[in-house]
Amino acid sequence: MAKAKLSMRERYRLLTRDLDWEPTYVDPKKVYPYTRYEGIKIHDWDAWDDPFRLTIDSYCKYQAEKDKKLYAVIDGFAQGQGHLSLTDARYVNSLKLFLQGVTPLEYQAHRHFGYLARHLDGPGARFAALCQSIDELRHTQTEIHTISQYNKYYGGLHNWSRMHDRVWYLSVPKSFFDDGLSAGPFEFLTAISFSFEYFLTNLLFVPFMSGASFNGDLATMTFGFSAQSDESRHMTLGLEVLKFMLEQDEDNVPIIQDWVDKWFWRGYRLLGLVAAMMDYMLPRKIMSWKEAFELYLEQQMLEGLFPDLEYYGIRPPRHVEQAITEKEYMSHQVYWILYQFSFAASFNTTVPTDEELDWMSGAYPETFDRFYRPLWERARRLEEEGNRFFFRGLPMLCQTCQIPMGFSEPGDPSTLSIRTSQFRGERFNFCSDGCKWIFDREPEKYVQAWLPVHQIYQGNCGGTTIPEVLNWYGIQDGVDNGEYLTSPDKANWDKWHTGAVVGGA
Amino acid sequence: MGYELRTNVVEPVRNGFSYLTERFGDRPATRYQEASFNVQPMENFQYRPTWDADHELYDPNYSALKLTDPYGYTDPRQYYYTPYVANAADRHESFAQTLKYIEDRRLLDKLPENWHTVLTGFVLPLRHYEQGAQLISTNASRFGYGTTVTQAACFASFDRIGNAQLLSLIGLALASGAADTLTDAKKNWLYAPHLQGLRRMVEELLVEPDWAAGLIGLDLLDEQLYPLLYEHLDERSLFRNAAAYSLLARHFNDWYAGHRKWLNALIKAWTKDPQHSDANTKVLGEVVDRWYPRACGAVREFARGLADSAGSVSVAGAAERGVAELAASLTRAGIPVNAPEGVTA
Repeated sequence: MAKAKLSMRERYRLLTRDLDWEPTYVDPKKVYPYTRYEGIKIHDWDAWDDPFRLTIDSYCKYQAEKDKKLYAVIDGFAQGQGHLSLTDARYVNSLKLFLQGVTPLEYQAHRHFGYLARHLDGPGARFAALCQSIDELRHTQTEIHTISQYNKYYGGLHNWSRMHDRVWYLSVPKSFFDDGLSAGPFEFLTAISFSFEYFLTNLLFVPFMSGASFNGDLATMTFGFSAQSDESRHMTLGLEVLKFMLEQDEDNVPIIQDWVDKWFWRGYRLLGLVAAMMDYMLPRKIMSWKEAFELYLEQQMLEGLFPDLEYYGIRPPRHVEQAITEKEYMSHQVYWILYQFSFAASFNTTVPTDEELDWMSGAYPETFDRFYRPLWERARRLEEEGNRFFFRGLPMLCQTCQIPMGFSEPGDPSTLSIRTSQFRGERFNFCSDGCKWIFDREPEKYVQAWLPVHQIYQGNCGGTTIPEVLNWYGIQDGVDNGEYLTSPDKANWDKWHTGAVVGGA
Repeated sequence: MGYELRTNVVEPVRNGFSYLTERFGDRPATRYQEASFNVQPMENFQYRPTWDADHELYDPNYSALKLTDPYGYTDPRQYYYTPYVANAADRHESFAQTLKYIEDRRLLDKLPENWHTVLTGFVLPLRHYEQGAQLISTNASRFGYGTTVTQAACFASFDRIGNAQLLSLIGLALASGAADTLTDAKKNWLYAPHLQGLRRMVEELLVEPDWAAGLIGLDLLDEQLYPLLYEHLDERSLFRNAAAYSLLARHFNDWYAGHRKWLNALIKAWTKDPQHSDANTKVLGEVVDRWYPRACGAVREFARGLADSAGSVSVAGAAERGVAELAASLTRAGIPVNAPEGVTA
């Protein structure tokens, strides 16, 4: 009577992919219409190996337990006014960048993994995408809840989603993700699952969490740990999906190589903001951008991952050697841009302290004292004279990455890099060979870009004066933006931290 | 004597996110509000989708049904991720306990044979129906407009694949842990005549381009199938010594009651919308015209199969009552039912 029990693998198959059937009343190609136009050939979706065996019951149980613990910490941190124990109010600028720049990306991932969960032909891949979709919603919402308590005490956070849609530096992450979403499903997988979640994640998402840990932000650090098991699933998926596509057909290899190249540079430029955050916004540093780049990109990826991918015919990404060259100065160039334009940003910037300048001299011996220390010392003199330096004009943006054109020629920090392309009789500008190369592959896509500076000139941003544009951005002038030393955040922090240590009211 | 713990308190600078205090007043927001309102990107999309150049990445025009305020809809259950998974975890846990109880007492072995047929021939094949429902709901979670709507659809899609897994667990239990019953159930879904109307309609809904029309079309089936299988047959099972059926049916019936809450509220938001009420009602009427006759036909076919194979004398009548009740509930919701009642397309 009693039959042999099924293997776990077979049982899992019955609970997930066996639910699928091939439609016969309608054309299956119409049910899954988007998986052929990119040129990727999938012959056998059954060859998809589920990287983890989650069922709905085990998923919900595990996640509910994690959330219970996470919210207990968030609540305790809020109740105990944990923000008062940060290293400094200046740290919160990192959270501002995170909530405005990263949380919306989690949300975009949530929605578009839903697109994959609907539109991939293979049920195993669809189910993995469904789990990731709901995970990303978790990350969006737990991040909002974690940072909500900071919004009650610090500027720059109160209008994050509107800012993401409108503010100039946030068009960098927004255009990155919009680029992924507007691509086909396989390119999206390469862009987000592989490049964003696997290849670059330790440089992208993790530094914010480590920064929290180093600066007394227990709430965000706990969020980071709580997201870790989700993220490791997403990372596994990212690598598996890449291998799956590569194994399905040799013709897929050059297409994917192109995407690996494109999304490396696209992601790397986005990392400019993280690099600036790591070196300049954290009062207590985790490690320098350069060290992080060497550890996570050069050692783990170029020396670890890519030799494995060689087996599939994939070589290290195009332009990576320029990124390696730039590790000596990239963070300084980006923060200098942010410093000059922070009158129009929803965070505060300031000249690094003497201690920090010395730390940077040590971390960047080849470049810092020669190129950047003099810059900061000059900026400090101006600040002390009451002429805090802001660039009172609008910068030219790179058509691809949308960062103001402040990067230098590779290896030559004193010469500005400008590349151009002609398309339909118009000239387009780029910050680098990588961004130009990306444009030239798909000019009809990148000419559509909603470039914040162009939009201001065209009168689409609430007006032509700075106060009008700030108002349209949702930035409260004098509260959210500008110099840190004269900011309400700094004034409040000082007020909260003065008073007799003994006794008290 | 009170307990006087002194805390170091500094006064907040603001009560909450600007867009929430503007919407709900200058007071701290609930976690549901923080998690749900104004979260989706709304404007200045950088590039048109290469897979649909006629739309923006997020676009109210993915459906003909519109809300003046995309956040004019609120899930009455106030589910965001955390309460959703906590609740879903409880639901699956409670189901697992029921199934264990049934297995410990060998209640499936004691099912009268025709009730066994109800499960294997009619209920278990619906695991595929539920996966189709997941795809339709997932589509809504991607292409809907505004997070309050799309997250509810996302949770529904997770629920539907969850339902498919619960049904599969029943199948495994029926075959003492083997795959046979599920294999048969799949064959039935693919080939058994009484299931083809359902399968056909689910497949057609999968190619319905308007996500909301897909959701409503699916609901026209749900509104007949769930009461028929998990209310009507549940009651009958109690009179027919089919305790296991009743114990299992309760879980699906409970789920369905919760599911109705968010969907009814959405239909209401459409039909009561300050600007689009008339247009929405007209669109809903057209969706119903298109799908109601097919849905009724498919469920009638299903019920006929049940009557024939399981010897149920009451099920055909119950299905007819379901058809009438659906028409009445649509009318109550203000949606005109013009199509001749229950004529098979």
